[in-house]
Amino acid sequence: MQVTLKIFRYNPEDNRKKHFDTFTVEAEPTDRILDLLERIKGTEDGTLGFRRACAHGVCGSDAIRINGVNRLACKVLVQDLKSRKVTIEPILGLPIEKDLIVDMEPFFDHYRSVMPYFVNDDPPPSKERLQSPEERERFDDTTKCILCAACSTSCPSFWVNDKYVGPAAIVNAHRFIFDSRDQAAAERLEILNEQFGVFRCHTIFNCTDACPRDIQVTQAIGEVKKAIIDRNLE
Amino acid sequence: MRSRAMPKPSWNLDYMMWVFTRLSGLSLILLIVIGISAGLLMGARSQMDLGTLMRWTFFPNSNHVLDSEIPDLYLWANGFWQIMQILVVFFAATHGFNGLRVVIEDYSLSGFWQIFLRFLILLLWIFSIMVGIYVILGS
Ligand code: FES
Repeated sequence: MQVTLKIFRYNPEDNRKKHFDTFTVEAEPTDRILDLLERIKGTEDGTLGFRRACAHGVCGSDAIRINGVNRLACKVLVQDLKSRKVTIEPILGLPIEKDLIVDMEPFFDHYRSVMPYFVNDDPPPSKERLQSPEERERFDDTTKCILCAACSTSCPSFWVNDKYVGPAAIVNAHRFIFDSRDQAAAERLEILNEQFGVFRCHTIFNCTDACPRDIQVTQAIGEVKKAIIDRNLE
Repeated sequence: MRSRAMPKPSWNLDYMMWVFTRLSGLSLILLIVIGISAGLLMGARSQMDLGTLMRWTFFPNSNHVLDSEIPDLYLWANGFWQIMQILVVFFAATHGFNGLRVVIEDYSLSGFWQIFLRFLILLLWIFSIMVGIYVILGS
């Protein structure tokens, strides 16, 4: 079958404005959108810029907007799409560097701001730090994040406000806040209890829909809000 | 043993108003349930049309529903219902104006505009509550 892709183009080094280029390629129903992008880059236009690495939904480098919604190019098959015409754009809310490539630095700055690492000042035990299966289960969902930015860049609060930490940062804070072995939950909750922290989330649910790992992002944010309130009531 | 120092919980405006928005939403629902129940007790089923009942439900002021056929409306014009009206005005205005503030501040304004618009919303909020209380007590 033939699939027509309308792809967003921008190159800071030439004088052309931002525009769309259209390509028609031969495709199998089981081809991924990433395969089509590579076919175009390999046979039609070698200047097309996009990120990819693992091609199996693990590295999180190829989040793009496919027909208006954030998806990983390597996880969407041609047969999943309703029509043979596909619009491909970069994710929203981050500066565009070239074509489908955005500057991820502001996203990672927010990620770093929530202390997304294990903190425990006690001397390490001789073996591992033990945790019951129930305690592990408490934050299991948020361990699945691959930092692809599909959630944050689907969030209207994130689009209009580059100070908002965004759903991905909150998900990664959640992963440690609810870890029984960690000791810095209170610090993370204070970081998120700020003007541009968790209360800029208005439960729009775009993030949950966008997550390629099916993380219940909005629920995780709700749990962090509740933890802040519980802490203030203690 | 927890060896790490814990920061104190902080009470900032966004936190407090987030909690207030939830509580005021629930309070408004409760006030409306009380209003509609009282309307039915007054005999709304036979003596009020739907529009009049809704007016009473959302703002239980007897002058406001004079066009109903309820004979002894004056029985419902007392201090209790004035307090109910003031509560409706307070919760609805605060909930609404805070919502407006949140929408504006979602757009991450710079220092001056944020302070200016916050102040403007504060004035509008105080003004609308004062007008509401004036109307309630004067009627
Ligand atoms: S290329 Fe690694 S997630 Fe798609």
